[in-house]
Amino acid sequence: MAQEHVLVNPTTQAIVAPFDGAPRLPSLAGTRLGIIDDSKRNADVLLEELVDLLRTRYEISDVKWHRKPSASRPADPKAIQDLARDCDSVIVAIGD
Amino acid sequence: MTEFGETTTVSWNDSLEAIEKCYELGWTDGLPVVPPTQERVAEFLQRAGRQAGEVVGEIRERRREITAGKVAANAVMAGCLPEHLPVVLAATEAMLDPVFNLVGPSSSMGGAAVLVIVNGPVAGQLNINSRNNLFGPGNRANATIGRSIRLILMNACAAVPGLFDRSVIGHPGKFSYCIAEADTQTHWTPLHVERGFSPDRSTVTVFASESPRQVRATGYPDAILHAIADAASSLGTSMSTSGSVGDPSARLRQGQVAVTIAGASSLWTDWSKDQVKAYLHARIKRSVADLKRAQVLPQSPEGTPDAGDEETYVSLVPEPDDILLVFAGGEESNMSSVIPSWGPKVASTAVTKEIR
Repeated sequence: MAQEHVLVNPTTQAIVAPFDGAPRLPSLAGTRLGIIDDSKRNADVLLEELVDLLRTRYEISDVKWHRKPSASRPADPKAIQDLARDCDSVIVAIGD
Repeated sequence: MTEFGETTTVSWNDSLEAIEKCYELGWTDGLPVVPPTQERVAEFLQRAGRQAGEVVGEIRERRREITAGKVAANAVMAGCLPEHLPVVLAATEAMLDPVFNLVGPSSSMGGAAVLVIVNGPVAGQLNINSRNNLFGPGNRANATIGRSIRLILMNACAAVPGLFDRSVIGHPGKFSYCIAEADTQTHWTPLHVERGFSPDRSTVTVFASESPRQVRATGYPDAILHAIADAASSLGTSMSTSGSVGDPSARLRQGQVAVTIAGASSLWTDWSKDQVKAYLHARIKRSVADLKRAQVLPQSPEGTPDAGDEETYVSLVPEPDDILLVFAGGEESNMSSVIPSWGPKVASTAVTKEIR
């Protein structure tokens, strides 16, 4: 006769607080763009090209650039706050 | 929900079925585990005087909290004895310290393991091996404490191979990677004392690192250190590559390195740890010419080194104290090992915590 046993689950679940995403921008023209360069090799090359395209095609007005000290570390919360305050949209990209 | 969080009720007829249940639940590292029954987990926590719901740390980027109950469940599965739990808890606390930046080494293609180095009286009390077969099998404490860390990473920190853990090749230390320093058998200052703890305290130091590279050098201190420095200066380690560092003036990643030295302490009578570290630090370096040939540094369009490149060297380790020097390994020979860091020092730094 099989016996019942209670096992402690050794795994965890992600605890994600509900949040509403920011409203989409109707147009990029005249808006301020933020960039997080994660410092992976060629991330700067990719992002600079993207910024050029966004300037010429979509007429973004201003760019604020943040380069992380280490690709593996999360962005500094202060840098994220500054970007949120000063920019209308932000691009985060990994180049490898 | 219970005081242990989520539980799972299963039934089995015998121990083989019990082991298979844990495989079915997806909780193992590929080897059989001891089922984490509520009773066994409670015994572990009670012996350590810790509460199941006590938060040991969090891995913010994955939105997960790691409790003492989860740590204990994984330690039970790894085959630990109850008295091993405080070591596993301290190691978990250390690797969840923001300075360690666990999200990096536990997800990176670099395939790091977390090396656990135990110092202080607890190493003797728990029979944690610091001598023959240092990184090898045969000792329960080393095997199961090290294995607990991997199970905690996979189960509680979501570092599941192929999902968050993107290791390209990984290494055998990812199953288990725990050693002690033979700190009572040397005149050298123990690692934990170098790192600010009192000698009568017990600690764990965690280090995100590649596999050990054995260095077969015996004889005289200078000869041994020369060989260690040569092995540590290899192309192809994280320390001797570039990229992923934001500082534009950094030519290489540079990282910490652990070095173990075995044999008789008497060989080093005229050397302190500081002297050994200074000697090694000055020699763990690579020529600009070699770094260009390996395309770690940008090459000239012709692919040939520039004048002076053969004579110009770049250090691979930021400071002498970034060499974690550990007296450990068999007494039979002065064999050593070099263990390069997983990544740049700016991405992950070794952390030491007291075992309570």
